Amino acid sequence: MKILVAVKRVIDHNVKIRVKPDHSGVDLTNVKMALNPFCEIAVEQAVRLKEAGLASEVLVVSAGPKAVQEQLRTALALGADRALHIDTEVALESLAVAHLLKAVVEQEQPELVLLGKQAIDSDNNQTGQMLAALGGMPQGTFASALEVEQGQIKVTREIDGGLEILALALPAVITTDLRLNEPRYAKLPDIMKAKKKPLAVTTPDALGVDVSPRLRLKAVEPPPERQGGIKVASVAELVDKLKNVAKVIA
Amino acid sequence: MNFTFNEDDIAFQDAAHRVCAEVLKTNAARYDETREFCRESLDALGELGFWGMNLPEQYGGVDISSIAMSLAVEEIAYHCAATCSSLTAHFLATDSVLIGATEDQKQTLLPQCASGEKLGAFALTEPGAGSNPAEMRTRAVRTSDGWHLTGTKHYITNGAFADFLVVYAKTDPDQGHRGISAFLVDRHTAGLEFSSPEKTLGLRGSHIYEIGFDCVLPLDALMGEEGAGFATAMEVLDRGRVEVAAMSVGISRAARDASLAWSKERIVGGKPLCRHQGIQWMLAEMHAQLEAAKLVTYKAADARDSGQRFSLESAVAKLVASEAAAKVTDAAVQVHGGYGYISDLPIERYYRDARITRIFEGTSEIQKIIIGRAITA
Repeated sequence: MKILVAVKRVIDHNVKIRVKPDHSGVDLTNVKMALNPFCEIAVEQAVRLKEAGLASEVLVVSAGPKAVQEQLRTALALGADRALHIDTEVALESLAVAHLLKAVVEQEQPELVLLGKQAIDSDNNQTGQMLAALGGMPQGTFASALEVEQGQIKVTREIDGGLEILALALPAVITTDLRLNEPRYAKLPDIMKAKKKPLAVTTPDALGVDVSPRLRLKAVEPPPERQGGIKVASVAELVDKLKNVAKVIA
Repeated sequence: MNFTFNEDDIAFQDAAHRVCAEVLKTNAARYDETREFCRESLDALGELGFWGMNLPEQYGGVDISSIAMSLAVEEIAYHCAATCSSLTAHFLATDSVLIGATEDQKQTLLPQCASGEKLGAFALTEPGAGSNPAEMRTRAVRTSDGWHLTGTKHYITNGAFADFLVVYAKTDPDQGHRGISAFLVDRHTAGLEFSSPEKTLGLRGSHIYEIGFDCVLPLDALMGEEGAGFATAMEVLDRGRVEVAAMSVGISRAARDASLAWSKERIVGGKPLCRHQGIQWMLAEMHAQLEAAKLVTYKAADARDSGQRFSLESAVAKLVASEAAAKVTDAAVQVHGGYGYISDLPIERYYRDARITRIFEGTSEIQKIIIGRAITA
């Protein structure tokens, strides 16, 4: 079974986000970037399937500027076999990425596509679902457990009020939730070996995909700053404020 | 001049950051409080290949640049200086082997040191020979079928936890420092006596021991050539000083970051501490001292990779970075006020951990002698 894993370069989850003064986006100057944590879980799962003898090859793909190769190298150090970089400077929307991935799926014919359920930067939670729809593949989103059986894959999903277990025919698209696994740390010798693993570069044009934006970003606003509290003199005043100022009780 | 790190440097720094922020950080306060040896953190680093950072690939290492190694050491010290001290002590032992041992000895020993199986200790210092190693009194006398080693070493990091020790001893007392040779001593050799770990001010998770030797070693325990020990030790210390500098930078950075975060949150007189000019200037000085320390450290690491002697660069780096760590960690306590003095926060630990960086692997005064001699030669 060949597995395709799509990964995204995002701001490191420890970084405090700053909005640009002109509200045109998030300030990325000198900001530490990292592999999206959910994508890391997807890579880990693919590598574990390979280690268990259930997968033959793990191909990792990312779209974006040249810098995304850093995250592809990280995925290679974690155990992916080869990488594909779709080189573009365009700010990609979920649908554009889904189209790009569909083109890669057609070229590579993987039996399983693994993605993070969402990226921690824009939190869209769309790409996996769009790819499944475009490619006519079954989808199992928010996977917290996977079991490969003959010709199909059993996915445990975390849904409101419990767990849902789906059996998907292959090829299928699965997006990973937090509890699917705990990703390993990269070993230093594997980081060195990753440099020698194949990393191919292609472009949206070469894949025949138009990635021009369809949405217009109007403004990015930081969350409102927390206001200082006030002191109240009595319970009666507190109840009054809760009713009439905060309006949290009737 | 190029002041940007390359992709590999960043990849190694990231790899170190991940394991340090998640594993080492969790253990650091406990090690400090209980004086438990930093075994768990050391082993976590060992499994990932960090024990072989200083070694070339042919001996099981990872062939990374000294800059990448400095960045990794810095990350380790940032989260747990005690673990950093034990790891860099291991590097002193394996650097000794790399520089002074025979090819056979390297092939036999180093791969297990790189993979995290064998921990080393570097035994040079004696009660009467610290800054003056040439005056050591530990003796190794050639017998018909081996060596008889007698003497006392102290302040030996990893001591009883080490699997092997590189012990420096006089084989020809008439030859001064040219009469010093190095020996590879298995931890379980009969005739080794370990003290209980010393009660230290800082780095409490990294144990140091006094070790008494009265033991018989096989012939092949001699590391490399007879009489070459002192030259090996000096070269090892050149490398070690870059690591102490990187460790100092790591502690300083932790103290600076904690102070920035604290001073932005703590409100005094209606505004955050960092908006009071007196405090802001302290933060500015801490930052400037840290930046200067980083630059001399990276420069020394770069010089180390050039293949030339780098005694001067490493002495400058060690002096500047360790003195900066003293000032930055002291200022961090001051910025935190009373909160900096109690062990609920790691600030007083940074302050105590930083103190040794001005002493071990050559005191600041020894660094000044090295620098002074080099620039007036």
